[in-house]
Amino acid sequence: MSDDLIGADGRKLTFDANQIRDLLPHRWPMLFVDRAYDVIPGKSGYGIKNVTVSEPYFAGHYPDQSIMPGVLIVEAMAQLTAVVYASAWKEEVADSDEVDTAGRVGYLGAIRQMKFNRLVVPGDQLILKAELGKAFGTLTPVTVQASVGNELVAKGSLTVTERGSGGGNGLQ
Amino acid sequence: MSQSYDELLDQAQARASLNLRVKVLLVDSLGLEIQAELIGDDQPLFGRGLELDSLDTLEIVVMFEEHLSVTISDDDRAAFGSVNKLVDFVVAALGEIPRVEALA
Repeated sequence: MSDDLIGADGRKLTFDANQIRDLLPHRWPMLFVDRAYDVIPGKSGYGIKNVTVSEPYFAGHYPDQSIMPGVLIVEAMAQLTAVVYASAWKEEVADSDEVDTAGRVGYLGAIRQMKFNRLVVPGDQLILKAELGKAFGTLTPVTVQASVGNELVAKGSLTVTERGSGGGNGLQ
Repeated sequence: MSQSYDELLDQAQARASLNLRVKVLLVDSLGLEIQAELIGDDQPLFGRGLELDSLDTLEIVVMFEEHLSVTISDDDRAAFGSVNKLVDFVVAALGEIPRVEALA
């Protein structure tokens, strides 16, 4: 993992939590990407989600056994996806600080396929990976993966939407 | 262009196989609750036809890339009119009727 803001080829970016808040509309307790790295805007990227025992959802999932809900792992993957494509919008208008990427981030359109291989518990560091496919209109297919160390946690594919400047949910 | 009867018959069979293959792919990838054989060649895919929606279009785009190596772009939306229009698009993109197994 590189701590440099810009990688060797000048195209891989790193976003810390503050920069991610600039890109996404999500906030605590629903912001699930602590850091994004090796981001190639509009194409792919990696993200980190450090799972602690203080996460609010562990209070109920479950009272006697802390397990990160699978749907929240999917949410984390989708948020990393949003970082990857929102960073591309940011690049398009590099000279302007006025770009409202958070307002353009759309919704989860489909969980096309997903398989969960391993429980995620407090202390785990989730490494997320997202690879965007070719967009069709406001819809983008994305291949996602989550792992802890060398162990695969979940793998699958999603469809995400982009909200047009005129609002709406990105579906046509 | 003159073609022999056998050539024309062969082409017609290849086209029919491809149409059925596309129907089977549609049913499988979209989880349609209809038998592939019952989808009409010219039946509209959206609205009152097969009742597909925009998320299904992306599914079809991905499925065509995987199974037929054909890329449908945002500019080719007319291809989503019907099975025949989808297959016309595939044939035009590949320059020939790809040979597929008649049955999945």
